Amino acid sequence: MKRPNNKISKYNRHNATYIILIVASVIMLFPIFWMLSTSFKNMTDIFKMPPSFLPKPFDMSAYHKIWINYPFVNYFANSLIIVFASTILSIILSCLGGYGASRFHFLGKGSFLTFLLIVQMFPPIMMLIPFYVMLTNYGIINTHLGVILPYVSFAIPFCTWMMMGYFDTIPKSIDEAAYIDGCSSLKTFLRVVLPISVPGMAATGIYTFLRGWNEYMFALTLVSSEKMKTVPVGIAQLTSENRTLWNDMMAASAVAGIPIIIIFLFFQKYLISNLAAGAIKQ
Amino acid sequence: MSSFKSRFGKFIFLVPSVMFVLALIIYPMIYGMGLSFFNTNLINRWDFKGFLNYKNVFNNDYFMSSIIITLKYTIIVVAGHFVVGMLFALLLNKNIKNRAIFRSILMIPWLFPEIVFGVLWKWILNPTYGIFNFMLINMKILSEPTTWLGSVEHAFNALCLISIWKGFPFMMLMLLAGLQSVPTDLYEAGELDGCNRWDSLRYITIPSIMPVITVSLILDTVSWFRQYDLVSILTAGGPNNSTMLISRFIYDKAFQSFDYGEASAMAVIVFIICCVIGFIYRKMTTVNSE
Repeated sequence: MKRPNNKISKYNRHNATYIILIVASVIMLFPIFWMLSTSFKNMTDIFKMPPSFLPKPFDMSAYHKIWINYPFVNYFANSLIIVFASTILSIILSCLGGYGASRFHFLGKGSFLTFLLIVQMFPPIMMLIPFYVMLTNYGIINTHLGVILPYVSFAIPFCTWMMMGYFDTIPKSIDEAAYIDGCSSLKTFLRVVLPISVPGMAATGIYTFLRGWNEYMFALTLVSSEKMKTVPVGIAQLTSENRTLWNDMMAASAVAGIPIIIIFLFFQKYLISNLAAGAIKQ
Repeated sequence: MSSFKSRFGKFIFLVPSVMFVLALIIYPMIYGMGLSFFNTNLINRWDFKGFLNYKNVFNNDYFMSSIIITLKYTIIVVAGHFVVGMLFALLLNKNIKNRAIFRSILMIPWLFPEIVFGVLWKWILNPTYGIFNFMLINMKILSEPTTWLGSVEHAFNALCLISIWKGFPFMMLMLLAGLQSVPTDLYEAGELDGCNRWDSLRYITIPSIMPVITVSLILDTVSWFRQYDLVSILTAGGPNNSTMLISRFIYDKAFQSFDYGEASAMAVIVFIICCVIGFIYRKMTTVNSE
């Protein structure tokens, strides 16, 4: 007798779940819809009252203008160069460091790892002023390298922890077997351990990529020449003009989202499982 | 031979990352702490001031009120992230159709740059042309357009709500990962012992994922305590300093007033506060688990 009742209540319960999730999805998606809708409007349509939900006429010119009227070609090139370089550097350094910390004992290992944890408490603003001075002194302010180095320094602590956690899950016997076969430790690492660590590296890479692509404060401060600015800085500075051209800004924002969506669609499974696992380890 | 090999091997792995940490984390950190003892323009004026900067900072009412605003902001935002994140983590942990799609949609706010959503919300909340006022007036909730980000009474709340919207997916993801690691036989055992849904949440779920909850709360608190991007775009600390979060305050001190020494002293204080927050959380949770 109880069974059918149970089924009905389960069914209803899931219905409530769906309703909440659908309402939430609308709240998440509406701003995106509004961004796209605004980006396809022309200037009169944007400031029309009452506002129309869909652009009419449908106007693609904002997507053309961001490349012609503003240096968004430069901004995107700079962002891509900086983010790819800092991602690759972070992966290399955190794999080496993570493997070293996972496999070897060395003097001060405990304090090194604790330090990497504490570093994550650093307010970026605390590092911004010294970086500004140092980069100016070494003459690499306003260069790609001048932004890449701070980005790597943000990523290293968390990524090293994450990679160390990943290497810990790989049995040491695999390394030992390779040693016995006459591999040096570097060779063992490169030929045996690294190939099975791709998921961990992917998570590390995505984390660094997203963080770099979205970063604003350092890029704003460490770069002053128009040619070297990154996408977030470029978008933010469109607001400071007298009459904000919302359609251009929304078009630039939409394009800025494309790399993120690509990365997320292809790599989300790595990010989600490893990010949580890496953080929980701490 | 093999011990020599492994000793040599060690260095290949550790030297690059230790060097990097020394040069680009420890050195700047010490440099920043050093700056906090000077009155300097970073070019030719380097007057050693001892602890004078710190004394000035503590006597600075704007700094103290900014710290209080930031603490209030952080508590509201992290609590919001936790409640919303937990709700959706529990919903997504159910065996429902299209779970991956819902999860991806709910992650949207977290993925995009804060700058992008900052300008977007600024446009949505625009007092004259914004869609938000229009919809509220249409639904007869409002009688006339409201200035959300430009008025002292609404700006702080609007900033908090947008921050909750922007940041809850991180908490949701972490908690979801935690929930999925809870073995299902625990729930079955609970059911046998007569647990209802609320009991099993309280006595099985929450204790099982306590470590995840702690870490997520620490990471979330520390990262929102130093919030800069959103607030800079949305309100720039105004109106009348009502949303002046500490990172923005320090930034202005350094790069608008060019008072690098005092700004560094403030940054050191913020760092200490972040460490204290982390310490308190760890303490609280070790007591809980005993």
